[in-house]
Amino acid sequence: MELFFQLVLNGLTLGSVYGLVALGLTLVYGILHVPNFSHGALYMVGAYVAFILMSNYGVNYWVAIAGAAVVVGVLAMLSERLVFHPLRDAPPIHDKIAAIGILLFLEAGVMAIWGADFRRMPTPYSGIVDIFGLTAPAQRLLIIAGAFVLVVALHLFLKKTILGSTIIAMAQNREGAALVGINATKVSLLTFFISGALAAVAAGLFAPINLVYPAMGHLVIMKAFVIIVLGGMGSIPGAIIGGLIIGFAESFAGFYISTHYKDLVAFLLLVVILSVRPEGLFTKGVR
Amino acid sequence: MLQLKNVNLNYGSFRALHDINIHADEGELVVLLGANGAGKSSIFLTISGLNKSVSGSIKFRGQELLGMKPSQIVEAGIVHCPEGRKLFPGMSVLKNLILGAYVHRKDKAGVQRSLEEVLDMFPILREKKDQPAGSLSGGQQQMVAIGRALMGRPKLLMLDEPSLGLAPLVVKQMFEVIQRINQSGTTVLLAEQNAYAALKIANRAYVIESGRIVMEGDRDTLLGDERIRKAYIGG
Ligand SMILES: Nc1ncnc2c1ncn2[C@@H]1O[C@H](COP(=O)(O)OP(=O)(O)OP(=O)(O)O)[C@@H](O)[C@H]1O
Ligand SMILES: [Mg+2]
Repeated sequence: MELFFQLVLNGLTLGSVYGLVALGLTLVYGILHVPNFSHGALYMVGAYVAFILMSNYGVNYWVAIAGAAVVVGVLAMLSERLVFHPLRDAPPIHDKIAAIGILLFLEAGVMAIWGADFRRMPTPYSGIVDIFGLTAPAQRLLIIAGAFVLVVALHLFLKKTILGSTIIAMAQNREGAALVGINATKVSLLTFFISGALAAVAAGLFAPINLVYPAMGHLVIMKAFVIIVLGGMGSIPGAIIGGLIIGFAESFAGFYISTHYKDLVAFLLLVVILSVRPEGLFTKGVR
Repeated sequence: MLQLKNVNLNYGSFRALHDINIHADEGELVVLLGANGAGKSSIFLTISGLNKSVSGSIKFRGQELLGMKPSQIVEAGIVHCPEGRKLFPGMSVLKNLILGAYVHRKDKAGVQRSLEEVLDMFPILREKKDQPAGSLSGGQQQMVAIGRALMGRPKLLMLDEPSLGLAPLVVKQMFEVIQRINQSGTTVLLAEQNAYAALKIANRAYVIESGRIVMEGDRDTLLGDERIRKAYIGG
């Protein structure tokens, strides 16, 4: 029971982090139809900004995460403004190449400024919590709760506010959105900001039980891509449920099969699910 | 109120519009007639600011529209109800209508008032208001599209083939609705292939062929014209 609980907790933790990263990816895909390969680098920069704010400036953990969300959100907006926006009429392959360019640029930039060392991010929540006689590391509970709050907040924003609805409107019908007077440029910037901020928060939450290093985004972004392909490109519930599926699969496979192969599980699942349901688990379209 | 002067439009190297000169006066209902591919939608999309590589001049109440963003053109008072409706299919009917009033979003009371007007005009939409727009029948979706456009409180409403794909009875209702909208003071630009029904409610009409205006005149002139009868009315 104890063991099972730990595996579930682990699955939820991974699922939360992957889900947050995948949500940002799927939102941007829904709007621009760009698979943003640089999203993993934004995640990595988020971890660095939070880490540096804490270790060099003695900033409180939560303030550091909020700071990272703003910095990375703005960075994501800049990437839209300076790179994707000028390419809007170019063939789609240009966006993809440019996204990889941003990825390389950010990784090289971080390496130049902060070096390639592995670092460990401190957390004020390093303790163990007792719930119903079961023990759980506080940081893991924090990740799950944090992701849950963010997803609910995002849901309310997208469904209940006019500003949030413009994102969905543009994803569902770009021309229709323009014809009711929604400014596509502003919606794109907003979407990129949200996407970057989500990645930064995911990184800030996950970093204390992981390491901070320039290549830390690679596996996360590959898994996030697996998730949005599984969940249906552009689907928001798909990103969340896909994240949980991959998180749980990794957690359980890591224990019952082998930790060495846990990173393989996501890709195996992708092959299996796509051979049964080539359109992904959920139908297309942001809802 | 609206005046296009020597408007040319290119899609790549293909010239879709050649020296288009048309105008619509305050309160008029002006029809654009033309076969498939003639350029009706291209004219509307150009006025709405969705087409690039346009030359010439498009003036609305003295203001030059060329170079303005689509959102600014909606704010200026021109609302376009596009061919194929372009609804937000996963959103409820209500949400589609509310987003139609996006440029008036700060005026909550005004939006509510427009919403009641639209729901009164299309009672069926009141019943279906919580359903996803994509789940409605074609005719009902067309009502949502027109309703969404009306929510923008247009001074000039552009309707692109609103009768396309609808049953004859629904088409008749659709034209009655359009006439009512026009009589309540909205200037209407209507693109149609259903020439007879459109001309009957029109003040004036233009005939467009291969991107050129080939004929223009008031309703009775065009309804009586032999070539129009042959080409667009049949008989
Ligand atoms: N996005 C585009 N790219 C290239 N060519 C286009 C594009 N849109 C329209 N065209 C071409 O421009 C011409 C005019 O098309 P348009 O859609 O304006 O015709 P229409 O009068 O609205 O026809 P229909 O009654 O079929 O809707 C056609 O030859 C069409 O093939
Ligand atoms: Mg057309």
